[in-house]
Amino acid sequence: MFDGLFGFAHSIWNFASPETIFYALCASLIGLIIGALPGLTATMGVALMTTLTLKLPSDQALLILICTYVGSIYGGSRSAILLNIPGTPASAASCLDGHALAKQGLAGRAMGIATSGSILGTWIGMFFLALFTPILGEMALKFGAYEFFWLAVFGVVISGNLTGTDPLKGWIAGFIGLFIAAIGQEGMYAYDRFTFGVHDLSGGIALIPALVGVFGFAEVLNVMKDKPQKFIINTYDTVVPKIKDVVQYWRTIIRSGLIGTFIGIVPGVGEDVAAWSSYAAARRASKEKEKFGKGSVEGLMAAETGDNACVPGAVIPVLTLAVPGSAPAAVLLAAMLIHGVRPGPMIMVENPTFVYDVVAMMLFASIGILIYGLTLTKLLVKILLVPRALVMPVIFVLCTVGSYAIAARPFDILVMLVFGIVGLVMRGLNYPMAPLVLGIVLGDLLDKSLRRGLSLSDGDLTPFFGRPIAFVIFLLVLFTILMNVPVARRVLGQGTALLLRPFRRA
Amino acid sequence: MDQNPVQSTAAEPAVPPRADFWSAVVWIVLGFAIVVISLRMDRLERFQASIYTAPGLVPGLLGFAIALMGGILMLRAVRAGALQGRAPVRLVLRDHWRLIFSLGLSLVYALVIVSSSMPFWLVTAIYVSAFVIVFQYAERRAAGQVPRGIAVAVVHGVLAGWAIQYVFEELFLVRLP
Repeated sequence: MFDGLFGFAHSIWNFASPETIFYALCASLIGLIIGALPGLTATMGVALMTTLTLKLPSDQALLILICTYVGSIYGGSRSAILLNIPGTPASAASCLDGHALAKQGLAGRAMGIATSGSILGTWIGMFFLALFTPILGEMALKFGAYEFFWLAVFGVVISGNLTGTDPLKGWIAGFIGLFIAAIGQEGMYAYDRFTFGVHDLSGGIALIPALVGVFGFAEVLNVMKDKPQKFIINTYDTVVPKIKDVVQYWRTIIRSGLIGTFIGIVPGVGEDVAAWSSYAAARRASKEKEKFGKGSVEGLMAAETGDNACVPGAVIPVLTLAVPGSAPAAVLLAAMLIHGVRPGPMIMVENPTFVYDVVAMMLFASIGILIYGLTLTKLLVKILLVPRALVMPVIFVLCTVGSYAIAARPFDILVMLVFGIVGLVMRGLNYPMAPLVLGIVLGDLLDKSLRRGLSLSDGDLTPFFGRPIAFVIFLLVLFTILMNVPVARRVLGQGTALLLRPFRRA
Repeated sequence: MDQNPVQSTAAEPAVPPRADFWSAVVWIVLGFAIVVISLRMDRLERFQASIYTAPGLVPGLLGFAIALMGGILMLRAVRAGALQGRAPVRLVLRDHWRLIFSLGLSLVYALVIVSSSMPFWLVTAIYVSAFVIVFQYAERRAAGQVPRGIAVAVVHGVLAGWAIQYVFEELFLVRLP
């Protein structure tokens, strides 16, 4: 316990240089602007900043990325409140009550609630990041090929189940992602798969250009395909958070923080689900249910606390299992690998202080959003009104540069373009993109784990189901799939009712 | 297979069953193509490699899963009326000019950036200016500000080209295409 506190204090001390604080503040501001502008997502922001910070030392580069991530998730609330358009998908739940408050002339108060909720959510998530990572890291040391195989399947299945409106399409997207990861030289024999003689494909499909395509180029096209809307932002009251709002809704804050962190830990699910789940839980528990959707302070607080708590939560599986908890966390994982940090089960053995470094980075990010939340309201309002026609071509240029910068391969620009077009079409058909990204990240793990596992057991499938952790993850996969099949759901429901009948009678 | 109630609050437009049907066809074809290619892959037995580590094993299983899920999607689409006789929707290109123009201009920009020796800032300035001029033209014309709109677009393009080149190459030492 105290070791953790000392580690955290040491990390803060290490980062407390003027240069680092400058980087943290700049990155939080960039994140905030990216998040506030509809059409620019946290994933795209973190991906573009990854390419910009390639040559920086790893600790400073990762600090910038984490501050961008936290800042953009918070920034989404600005356009949700002022324009009724979620700046990022994570802020969709904030539109309901945030904009309703703004229409009542309480936009300032709503922004204050978003600021306090986001900061407290980040802090709750940070607490669990520091607490859970060493514990989960120790558990992860027991993972072998069988457990990692099921973990990869579970990630894609649960992400497909929760991130869209249609689980079947989510799973298809996830499996397409797993297949995309199989393109190029495989990891055991360096054998070329699906390259069709194209030399550039031997290196595989790099994650960052694919992500920039799906979340950047596709988003540029998506924004530009519709006629621009004219927005009018009314005057607003003070943006200083009220202590009364925090004290009155402390239960909601803690509940949403816990939900957000937990959903963050679940592979590939992400901030939007965290915000909606926190919002739904707050509504169920609230004494003022009728106010939800009409300007409920509690509803806005729940959504904002939940999505920001999800950020540290999503980093927990990145550090312990090298499995991302959300799409921006997938970019963060790729960035860590680029900068020579090897996340995964060995991180608490090889680099135990890194976890506290990440917690300290989150703290700097939360301080950044507090400062900007209180001071930069007028500037952000002006930025929100910048026409999309001025912003989007610049974003596409950054997508092109960003895709190229990682490996200086023109082929990566082509990858970005293809993924952008495919992403646009798939999104138009309601295929969620988060499972696709998670599939690309987990494909290699699934491939190696299944082949290693089968090789070790000489084709015997028993260890895949016989080892305790593997069996539990398998049951979770099976349950997740069966809950989406009407017949199976009915049978499971009847079975559960039969099992619980004696207890109900008692 | 049901639709998900978890995010029912996040409104997404419904996809016509016919579109689902055709996307299912794509997945089935893709899935079976992956299976066939995977089966044809070298099993590396001459290197005493175990059959369980064959390079085509995992992609083959993935291809089968994609085809299977495509099949379920197709069945669902057919049950929802995908094959019921209806006149096919005619695509009017003029209605989609914004998408076609942004896609076309962006593709040309990427192609020029990769294949020509023109300076990065210049290509970027031309691309950004053209984008802004076209998408703001109607608004500027309505306000009687076409020359001013063109001037603003060119200044914006040149500034964007210069700033991106400066920040990436000079400040962060990142190579540009």
